[in-house]
Amino acid sequence: MVAFTEEIVDVGGTKVHTLKGGSGEPLLLLHGAGGNNGWLKSIDALAEKYTVYYPSHPGYGKSDRPDWLETIPDMACFYNWYLETLGLEGIRTIGFSMGGWIASEIAAMCNHSFSKMMLVGAVGIKPNEGEIADLFIISPAQVLDLMFHDPAQAPEYQAVYGREFTPEEMMTAEGNREMAVRLCWKPYMHDPRLSSLLQRVNMPTRMVWGRNDQIVPVECGELYKKAIRGSDLVVIDNCGHSPQVEKPDEFIKTALDFLA
Amino acid sequence: MFLMRFTERAYTTYTEEAVRNSPNEAVRLTFSNSNFDPKVGARQYNEYLDEYEYCEEAGFDGLMLNEHHNTPTCLGATMNLEAAILARSTKKPKIVLMGNPLPTFENPLRVAEEIAEIDMISNGRVVSGFVRGTGVESLAANINPLHNRERFEEAHDLIIKTWTTPGPFRWEGKHYHFRVVNPFQMPLQKPHPPVWIPGLGSPQTLVWAAERGYPYIYLETDPQGTQDMIDIYTEAARESGYEPGPENFGYLCRIHVQDTDEKAYESAKGFLTGNVGVGRVPMPKDYMLPVGYGGSKADPRVAKYQGRIRKDPFLGLGLETASYDQILDSNRWIVGSPETVIRKLRETLSVIRPGILGVWTNDGDTTHADTMRCLELMGQEVLPAIREIGAELELTDPFQKMAQTV
Repeated sequence: MVAFTEEIVDVGGTKVHTLKGGSGEPLLLLHGAGGNNGWLKSIDALAEKYTVYYPSHPGYGKSDRPDWLETIPDMACFYNWYLETLGLEGIRTIGFSMGGWIASEIAAMCNHSFSKMMLVGAVGIKPNEGEIADLFIISPAQVLDLMFHDPAQAPEYQAVYGREFTPEEMMTAEGNREMAVRLCWKPYMHDPRLSSLLQRVNMPTRMVWGRNDQIVPVECGELYKKAIRGSDLVVIDNCGHSPQVEKPDEFIKTALDFLA
Repeated sequence: MFLMRFTERAYTTYTEEAVRNSPNEAVRLTFSNSNFDPKVGARQYNEYLDEYEYCEEAGFDGLMLNEHHNTPTCLGATMNLEAAILARSTKKPKIVLMGNPLPTFENPLRVAEEIAEIDMISNGRVVSGFVRGTGVESLAANINPLHNRERFEEAHDLIIKTWTTPGPFRWEGKHYHFRVVNPFQMPLQKPHPPVWIPGLGSPQTLVWAAERGYPYIYLETDPQGTQDMIDIYTEAARESGYEPGPENFGYLCRIHVQDTDEKAYESAKGFLTGNVGVGRVPMPKDYMLPVGYGGSKADPRVAKYQGRIRKDPFLGLGLETASYDQILDSNRWIVGSPETVIRKLRETLSVIRPGILGVWTNDGDTTHADTMRCLELMGQEVLPAIREIGAELELTDPFQKMAQTV
């Protein structure tokens, strides 16, 4: 297990709670709409090779919630500022689900923020055939059901989702949902301009998807591939929306291969 | 005492089984409209309008309308349409809109125009209620529930300004933007139609209504909890420099009367089967209270009132699941012969002391014939008795109060 620290990064007065650990070149991880699940096995494996920065987005967890920050493009502006504050440029990134949308907006906005980008089950582009599951009209328990193809194969499922939550954790989860509603309500989980803007992206990009993703159809991965020149799409069989939790070994392998 | 009649105007030709087989077993929002037959709808709209028109003859002071969307529980999807019809077809009763769900509209000026037109056509009989809309309305209209209260307040401010300030003027708000506000449809009543706020007693809305002197209409809330809500309103009113009285409060109650207690007991069962969902199938929390709708618990304006309002003993259990007899025994619904209804109502009125009483006479599959008999008995026996009780308890309504102060 790689040691990690909890740091507060002050971005223009907004305090961003950031998990930081590992050694090597910097790697920015951007979590999904549900929030930062902490230092899981897959993150630990990445920290063996890289210095991992894993912030809670503004409005999530222990990070501040600025009133002005209402959209994913706002979030992208904010993260450019965050990277500037840390003196980071041209770094590797992995964005999970909504975090993948944030990463691609950052890449579309600023071509030198990232050197390599990996998008995992990313929202952001509207599918033509399927639909992104509407997480705002179902209960958190129903969302969890949709997230996994087979929870039994996810080694950390019990530790992350199967235990009793403290009142503080429940409050945090509700606050996280509230922030997701703020950012992603309409148009739901996508930005109609994103595909066009992604033509500008010139960094190596890999999409990773669970073949059985019931939240964001694999079709979205294909649309990302089409939008970003030279990108590739890795689809993991028998896997749902969160390969990093459901199939950590396969996820780590494809991530380390790509990031090297 | 102001007496207004209400029904949700339920669509009833669908089955509990169909609801149970629908997404999330919900009768609202996602229950397929393939369960709706416009032929039945055509008959029901006309029956419901007949009933409202008869209410004038029966002696009601007001015809109370509401609206809901994506649901068979309420056929009124645009109450202003029904109000416009009643504006022409009746002469005396107030047309009480309880209320237009402001946050769900992209263009509040259209609402201002519609209400002004109805006010003119009815010769100044509109009471213009405004609501935030039940949480599920945010989903039906796809309005971010986090913006619900902000949009409610801003749309209200814009409508009131539109009614009271000569145009043209410009509006650049947070949620609404208009280059030129200048409608020629202006309300007949000056400065504008009375505004009443119906609701379930959210403290922030109580305070907001009290600060503006708007009567608050409690929608069949638990009588004990209603006392606490009245206290919150009263404190805010005093801070605003006035002492509220019965004219500041209304109460909506299901009240069904028939010739005998037995007959009423049977025909009022419609309340169980049509309005709160066929077979009382509970609605999912995520539909009724979408994330953000209730305001953030971290917000000091929300936190301040935590625990102030006594819990509704039927909540959680829900009016949906409480047994019919329990509901009747608790007097939450008042059902019986004229004599029984009058006796029980005296108790409710003594506790809550509203100047405005919403009489929710019927719903669900209570037949049109039973409803008409109910309205007839209301007119012959119940309404005159309530007026006497109202006078005895000094339950002054807003119009009486206005007449006293002029």
